[in-house]
Amino acid sequence: MTILATAPPPPGPNPGFESPGVADFQLPPIFGPVTKPVLELVLAAIIVYAFFAYTARRPQLVPSKSQFLGESLHGIVRNSIARDNIGPEFLKYVPFLTTLFAFILVNNLFGIVPFIQFPTFAHPGMPYALAGIVWLMYNFIGLRKHGFVGYMRVSTWPPDVPWWVRIVLTPIEFLSNILLRPVTLSLRLFGNMFAGHLLLLVFILGGEYMLLHSQSVFLAVLSPAAFGLGIVFTFFEAFVQVVQAYIFTILTASYIGAVLADDH
Amino acid sequence: MVTGNLNVIGYGLSAIGPGIGVGIVFAAFINGVARQPEARGQLQGIAFIGFALSEALAILGLVLAFALQ
Amino acid sequence: MTHIIAAEELNPLTPHPVEIIVGLIAFGLLYLLLRRTAFPQFERVYADRKDKIEGGLKRAEEAQQQADDLKRQYEEQLAGLRAEAARIRDDARAEGQQIKAELRAQAEEEAARIRQRGEEQIAAQREQVVRQLRGEIGGLSVQLAERIIGDSLADDARRSSTVDAFLSELDGLAERREATPASGAS
Repeated sequence: MTILATAPPPPGPNPGFESPGVADFQLPPIFGPVTKPVLELVLAAIIVYAFFAYTARRPQLVPSKSQFLGESLHGIVRNSIARDNIGPEFLKYVPFLTTLFAFILVNNLFGIVPFIQFPTFAHPGMPYALAGIVWLMYNFIGLRKHGFVGYMRVSTWPPDVPWWVRIVLTPIEFLSNILLRPVTLSLRLFGNMFAGHLLLLVFILGGEYMLLHSQSVFLAVLSPAAFGLGIVFTFFEAFVQVVQAYIFTILTASYIGAVLADDH
Repeated sequence: MVTGNLNVIGYGLSAIGPGIGVGIVFAAFINGVARQPEARGQLQGIAFIGFALSEALAILGLVLAFALQ
Repeated sequence: MTHIIAAEELNPLTPHPVEIIVGLIAFGLLYLLLRRTAFPQFERVYADRKDKIEGGLKRAEEAQQQADDLKRQYEEQLAGLRAEAARIRDDARAEGQQIKAELRAQAEEEAARIRQRGEEQIAAQREQVVRQLRGEIGGLSVQLAERIIGDSLADDARRSSTVDAFLSELDGLAERREATPASGAS
């Protein structure tokens, strides 16, 4: 694992297990300013494009196996994310949402792909950027549809609320709808990837330490348990990664749907 | 000896409330879908907005745990 | 070693600008490419499929409609034909009755004519018979008279006078009968 190289066990006579931490996420540059996540971003874009280009190369009424795969992925985003959350104008946003979902999904799954083994979004840069795009997008859509006053009304003025509740509620709505959404959107993705990767590091590096560096037979014998748990948590991470890509996309769709709605 | 940052304990505490909140949101969502499966699409959007709202607090805790050194 | 790095740089929330730039370019290109190429294909397939299904339903509906129309048409035609047949039957019956009546009238006329002719024939035959009988009766009565009188008429004188008397009597008889033919038979 390349991560190991950044955090070698400290020299000296058995200084004890140093748990993996934030330092493990500081990856060395491969060349120039290019680090592993940068390559992963490019690779993910290539993979997603190749996947959809391959599955949609000869579309037929009765789909072939590969076309069915592509259609399934596209159909999930189209029907269960976009249509249910955006409403009648959903078709315009399906390409963006599908790209978003596939891109995030592939980048997340890099966290458990052998030899890559680093979820791109455990670095917060790209989640910030994606959330920023989403934020710009739904604000723009809302402003274009309702105008400034109308948009503010839609997003901070819930109907049928007594005025004394409104004193508290309107600032909270403003805070949560306009300011906090991009923050939570990006940090949810980042936090999950970060924590998940850390979790795997703890088990794998811990198991390695027990097996190779602890100089204790007892720990060495127990090390398979740590590796086993690491594998279990790898499956768990795979699940979390898919779910996080789904949540990011469905929240984007919800935000777009909310600003397109006529009332709150 | 345990070393570390007390902020992380703060984050752990801040995650309790949102954890319960997210549980409640999805319990209600599941109940709603079980009672009225055809309302799934509508409920899904609301459920995820509620989920995002309550999880925002846990995420703020995470941010503060790292940001305040 | 790693702890020497400043806390600022260790903060995991600090983004890496290179990632953002490269990521945005990659994501943007990906979005533009997919929006142009792959996704319209999928949408077209969905639309085709929907078309096919809805078109099939529509076609079935049309066929049903056509069949209904045809059926109604046939039923109308059938009803028309039935009415036509009934009309023809009625006509035929009326005509038949007319023909029968005509034939009966004709037959009765014929019968009357035949009967009349028969009567005429009978009348003519009777006339003939009467006429014949009258001739024969003359001869017969002469023979009878000859036989009755016989020998008494042997002498010519008597005979001739008697015959003359008889003949004159006959003539007188004939004349009388011609005046009153009803009593001529005696």
